[in-house]
Amino acid sequence: MLARINAIALNTFREAIRHRILYLLLIFAVVMISFAQILSLLTVGSEEKVIKDFGLASIDLFGVLTAVFIGIGLVSREIERRTVYTLLTKPLHRFEFVLGKFAGLAITLLVNTGVMTLWFFLVLLIKGMLDGALVIAILLLFFQFLLITALAVLFSCLSTPILASVLTLALYVVGHLLWSLDLLAARLTSASGRALCRALYFVLPNLGNFDIKGEVVHGVAIGGSRVGWASLYLVLYGSAVLWTACAIFERKELQ
Amino acid sequence: MKPVAAAPGGRGRMALCAVVALLLAVLVQTRIEGNRRSSGVHPILYLPSGKYLRVMALGFDGLLADVLYLWSIQYYSNYDIRDRYNYLEQIYDQVITELDPHYLDPYLVGALIMTSEARQPEMALRLLDKGVARNPDQWIVAFEAGFLCYNDLHDYKRAAGYFEKALRVPGVHPLVRRLYAEMYNRAGDKRTSLKEWSEIYETSTDDYVRNVAWNHVHDLKVDVDVAELSDALARFRAREGRPPRVLQEIVAAGVLGSLPRDPEERDYLYDESSGEVRYRGSLVLGR
Repeated sequence: MLARINAIALNTFREAIRHRILYLLLIFAVVMISFAQILSLLTVGSEEKVIKDFGLASIDLFGVLTAVFIGIGLVSREIERRTVYTLLTKPLHRFEFVLGKFAGLAITLLVNTGVMTLWFFLVLLIKGMLDGALVIAILLLFFQFLLITALAVLFSCLSTPILASVLTLALYVVGHLLWSLDLLAARLTSASGRALCRALYFVLPNLGNFDIKGEVVHGVAIGGSRVGWASLYLVLYGSAVLWTACAIFERKELQ
Repeated sequence: MKPVAAAPGGRGRMALCAVVALLLAVLVQTRIEGNRRSSGVHPILYLPSGKYLRVMALGFDGLLADVLYLWSIQYYSNYDIRDRYNYLEQIYDQVITELDPHYLDPYLVGALIMTSEARQPEMALRLLDKGVARNPDQWIVAFEAGFLCYNDLHDYKRAAGYFEKALRVPGVHPLVRRLYAEMYNRAGDKRTSLKEWSEIYETSTDDYVRNVAWNHVHDLKVDVDVAELSDALARFRAREGRPPRVLQEIVAAGVLGSLPRDPEERDYLYDESSGEVRYRGSLVLGR
């Protein structure tokens, strides 16, 4: 089973690195990270904060865009091009196909994030601002990309690429605004309204778990437990999303 | 249907049209800019509160705070905008520091602009108070507030209060302790100032700091002793109806427990005719 998933993953990776959008996003990220140096000249103090904020935000933004724009077409494009029929005639389970697609994009994102991180660290090294804690922030950002990829794969199994991109981006926005649901629940007088808010708060993907950019830039110590809990959350929530995607793809009528 | 052949020189004409269209767009933009400036609507009025911006930032609140801070620096460097100080509190207090409450520079630079340029030190202190509340582990914000009270408001008691807050933070710069001690002197509480400077002298391992502290201790001890003796002499005069012939009389009369000695371990000079006490040396700092 693993060999088959690996084969799909490697093919997906090869296909993804041929995507022009990947290079476009990567170039934008590199330019934005470099641009922070120029912007930092305009500030009074806090040059280091500006460069680190811009670097982390670039990695975050362009990683998410890569996950969304490549992830949404992973399954639907195979169906559209009818290449999925050829694949599924081979001894390959449908869930292996979905998991392989996810793994392929995960490898792409790993390489993508690696390149952005190397460039970011090079800029920091030149400026003498290298900070090991940034690795933790980038690791958690990568976890966020993986969860978004899983969601993109799920929506890619469900609908067209445009709708899938809208749904994934909507969940990205919601995932960063869940704390407001918690605040809303505290203000509501109706018990059912509060229960609904609380339910949504826990059921929707909480991307705030992976966002420690602010803390790292301000030098706040990040406990190992924070990373540990975020990793566990990714494994569990990501598994739930991927198994749902597999279940949907298993039942999908391919004509 | 046959493909239409490209018109000769068509690509050049299209490029020319594109350049002309771009130039026209630039002209229109300059007109729009002119209209915007003459409309009297201040661009900052479009800036929402940091609380709302934080919701919209989707985790990029630190970055947004950076961008707005950079913009504010440029904005306040433009002396052509006459009413720019009207929005100081909104920009620094309600927007940037709401977006990133741990971003120290907007507190410090915002307070500097409020004090030095807008001449609104109380507004600066409100901003710095917020900075102290949101960043209790950073001594620099309380220090800045104290320095503002000392340097601009000459409110030394208030300054001492801020320096005391800064002193509670581990890793505080030693200078804060010296300023704290000095604020009591400036406020007229020489006894507390002497106590603080003595502690600095006794605890510091830096020769320079010990030397500075000793100079203050020396002069303050003289001031405190002379004030104490003058007070005792006044009480003696009130009780006996005459000045004492020698200083020892005020101890014998029970007005003072013992006679203080000067920093060089000598007695203070007493002039019976004027009833005044003097230090026989000269003050180091000469204040």
